[in-house]
Amino acid sequence: MAMPAQLMFARRLGPTARLLIWLLVGVSCVVVDARYRALDGLRSGFSLLLQPVREVMRAPADIAAELGGFFVRHRLLQKERDALLIERARLLNNVNTAKEVVRENAELRTLLQLQSRPGQQVVHAALLYQGHDWFAQHITLDQGGGAGLRRGLPVVDATGLMGQLSRVYPGTSEVTLVSSPGQLTPVLVERTGQRGLAAGSGHNQMELRYMPAQADIRRGDLLLTSGIDRVYPAGIPVARVSRVSRSQASPYLRVECLPLAGLDRSRAVLVLIADPQMATP
Amino acid sequence: MNAATQTGSWSRILGTLTLAVLLEQLPWSGLALALRPDFVLVGVLFWTLHQPARLSFGAAFFLGLLADFQDGAVFGQHAIAYVTGVYLVLFLRLRLLQFDPLRQAAQLLPVLLTVQLVVLLVGWLAVNPPTGLAMLLSALSSTVLWYLIALFLRLWHGKGMQDRA
Repeated sequence: MAMPAQLMFARRLGPTARLLIWLLVGVSCVVVDARYRALDGLRSGFSLLLQPVREVMRAPADIAAELGGFFVRHRLLQKERDALLIERARLLNNVNTAKEVVRENAELRTLLQLQSRPGQQVVHAALLYQGHDWFAQHITLDQGGGAGLRRGLPVVDATGLMGQLSRVYPGTSEVTLVSSPGQLTPVLVERTGQRGLAAGSGHNQMELRYMPAQADIRRGDLLLTSGIDRVYPAGIPVARVSRVSRSQASPYLRVECLPLAGLDRSRAVLVLIADPQMATP
Repeated sequence: MNAATQTGSWSRILGTLTLAVLLEQLPWSGLALALRPDFVLVGVLFWTLHQPARLSFGAAFFLGLLADFQDGAVFGQHAIAYVTGVYLVLFLRLRLLQFDPLRQAAQLLPVLLTVQLVVLLVGWLAVNPPTGLAMLLSALSSTVLWYLIALFLRLWHGKGMQDRA
């Protein structure tokens, strides 16, 4: 590989040699990070450096949203308000029923001498940045270790389960979405109660793994978290079955599902922090 | 010569690279995210082409690490790819400088594509199989961005940028 003469500098390595040196450094970076997870300090450093920048860069989108909101038509607002009032009345009714059920449940549990269910605390967080990666789907939130977050906590939005905190920095944190490849979520089928394992398959899709060919599952079935993993509380909606097909080669059904949470839309999410009581079996 | 040193002054290099990093920090999502050009990569390759003595492998590697952090990817994935891109541009440098913006951008498409493929390859070896080929779109949009920048410079400076080759 002959290089043009102008690029040759005295007492300086040629481009090929420099490329090889940097490739070596790069490969060792990959190995150290992927195999030994030893570069988390560097990640925290980057996160401290970039957090204020990201906070500032969120402003243009916020301003655009503000401006857009300013010109919403009056009629549309009225319509929305009416719908919300109706929704509120319905929810209030549900809350009253739920309160009653909780009281009854607590009494029954004391009667049966069962351990009471752990309480829950929520932290509001907003989307700061969406990752762009071939191999996993991450989003970054604007809350971190300072707000009491730690690795492994579940993240939800108004419609369903978003994912799980995979990295926590002082002021920000990273969520691995349920649709990220390799992310497993224990679920149960709402209609039949059958348990299963939902895995992300990338691009806002999931699949339900290891469902025997005779299992009763249909298009439209709702999948909820089963709560047996002690990570996700039971009963959070996760996904809806979109296609069930049978393959000759495998003894299992191929079940495709679509996540319910707005994985690529939601800007405001909740992180659920279970009480430490949860940790003691 | 005087004009040349002015064009590639440190403040200008740092300014454009900072702007590129800032643009990547915007909360992109949906289709815009898929179509977003890799601003930092275009910036690095641009300055490698026009000021190879000032900016090359080291800076590209560091900015690659930054990109890895942003995407929550394994450290080194983008760094290796960016360094490869810088090498390719250095290798093709004299050739690239002779072309007008459109042809220059067309010649950069394979380079940008190679960079994306290196990201893919490293991630594949280090983590797991990829989820789809949508990320190749950013090579296309980066090419368009390159064309726009080169065109802008040409209109701004006349043929100045090319005479220095």
